[in-house]
Amino acid sequence: MALNKVDINVQPKEEGYVPKSKKKTFSYIQVLPVVSFALALGIWWVIAELELIRLPTPAEVIMQLYVMATGTVAGQPLHFHVYMSLQRVLIAFVIALAVGIPLGTMMGWNRRIEKIFNPIFEIFRPIPPIAWVPLAILWMGIGEAPKIFIVWVGCFVPMVVNSFTGMRYADKLLMDASRTLGATRSQQFFNVALPAALPSIFAGVQNGLSLGWMCVLAAEMIAAREGAGFLILQGMYVRNEAMIVSGMLIIGLLGFLIAIFLRYMEKVITPWRKEELV
Amino acid sequence: MNNVKLKNNFFTENYLSILSLSFFFLFWYYLVASGIVSDRILADPITTIQTFIFKLTNTSPEGATLFQHLRTSLILALTGFSLGAVIGVPLGLLMGWYKPVDALVRPLFDVLRPIPPIAWIPISIFWFGIGMFSKSFIIFVSAFVPCVINSYTGIRLTNPTLIRVAEVYGASYRETFFRVGVPSAVPMIFTGLKLALSTAWMTLVAAELLAANEGLGYMIQMGRRLARPDIIIVGMLTIGAVGALIASGLQSFDSKLSKWRS
Repeated sequence: MALNKVDINVQPKEEGYVPKSKKKTFSYIQVLPVVSFALALGIWWVIAELELIRLPTPAEVIMQLYVMATGTVAGQPLHFHVYMSLQRVLIAFVIALAVGIPLGTMMGWNRRIEKIFNPIFEIFRPIPPIAWVPLAILWMGIGEAPKIFIVWVGCFVPMVVNSFTGMRYADKLLMDASRTLGATRSQQFFNVALPAALPSIFAGVQNGLSLGWMCVLAAEMIAAREGAGFLILQGMYVRNEAMIVSGMLIIGLLGFLIAIFLRYMEKVITPWRKEELV
Repeated sequence: MNNVKLKNNFFTENYLSILSLSFFFLFWYYLVASGIVSDRILADPITTIQTFIFKLTNTSPEGATLFQHLRTSLILALTGFSLGAVIGVPLGLLMGWYKPVDALVRPLFDVLRPIPPIAWIPISIFWFGIGMFSKSFIIFVSAFVPCVINSYTGIRLTNPTLIRVAEVYGASYRETFFRVGVPSAVPMIFTGLKLALSTAWMTLVAAELLAANEGLGYMIQMGRRLARPDIIIVGMLTIGAVGALIASGLQSFDSKLSKWRS
């Protein structure tokens, strides 16, 4: 009865109503990124020229980058520092892959293995990798080993956590279906559970690598004579602010390249994964 | 047969865990006690517990009790974290909702984002010295980035149907933002806060290792200088335990909140 009272003759206010979210955006939006870059660069330059804080001008940073790229820093060319950092990350990353993913997947697959390893892992998990620095130096001196160890801790933890959860929360329906169809235990593991867990495992690999990149910087800042982290610390010691900022830019660029590489690898390894929105 | 099931208590469930943990601690104790690993580079579990109790009330050898270090670190971490959250979350939400804000802020944010917070340490020491301010700044940077990214993603993932319903009922874009966009982004915001807190806690340790005269990071660094592995291990375990406590606190708050939502 009440329905009959609704006035069905109400017309939309405007003809050809377009939802707000679908309306054409203003064209000035396209130029805004350029404006914001120009504005930021301008503010940076003004602050640096007025010496409000000790900041090099953009031109000084470019000059410094050129000087560093053609000359040497602490007796080594720039590409050597970059190479050393990448090498440390790579070695630690590969070891973490080889240890972390089997451990995590086995913990997720088998309750007994979980009961054995999880309590010990849970003691170490919340300790940030950087907190291992003093102990690592005490154990291994200040050579390559402690740095690789710290980066390894950083890569290892997210890999174990993610492959564990990916395995544990693999779709039960798929597991039951494969068992009904007569799959053996090892077929279930390799053909069903592992592919189902792969996106989660890969997210762990991604987190691990970016955490490892952060850890190598920390390790190099605390005790090293070469590497990307050493560059900015050296800049601080010789009181050369252009060197600090250029070092930060190099580090940012490397981090960016690593992220792009990982996004590409993700598409190659897990092509069935839905595209993320952002 | 029912008796067998009743016996399925804590010990039968977890005997493997208990065994592995006792093996772990015994092995640790044996390594040091037998002299395979020198007690100058590793402390056995019993010494560690003794040092922990000693450090609760005693300031030697590095000049502050465990509580004083913990207080310094917590104040710093929470200052930087709250600053990062208060600025980062609204910024991320506005960027996700209003296109001009996005176009204006996103390019700069994308340039600064790949620089890890730890790389800000030298320049922040350069600018602000080694006091409280420089460390708060570094922790602010570390908390800010995940807060922005997650609230941005959260509001972008708002169900378009809900937005359209709000529009049909005559809500303005701003009203839709507060009534639909923000509430639907809450779970992602919480993920961001959790992430920010753990990054902040890690960055704090790095900052304190490099430049501090109090705090848990300073404590483990001094433990290394004085060749006192027991102090390092007590510090590391405290850092880990506090980090885990904070994370579980946020987790339980989050699950209460989501219960209230549904």
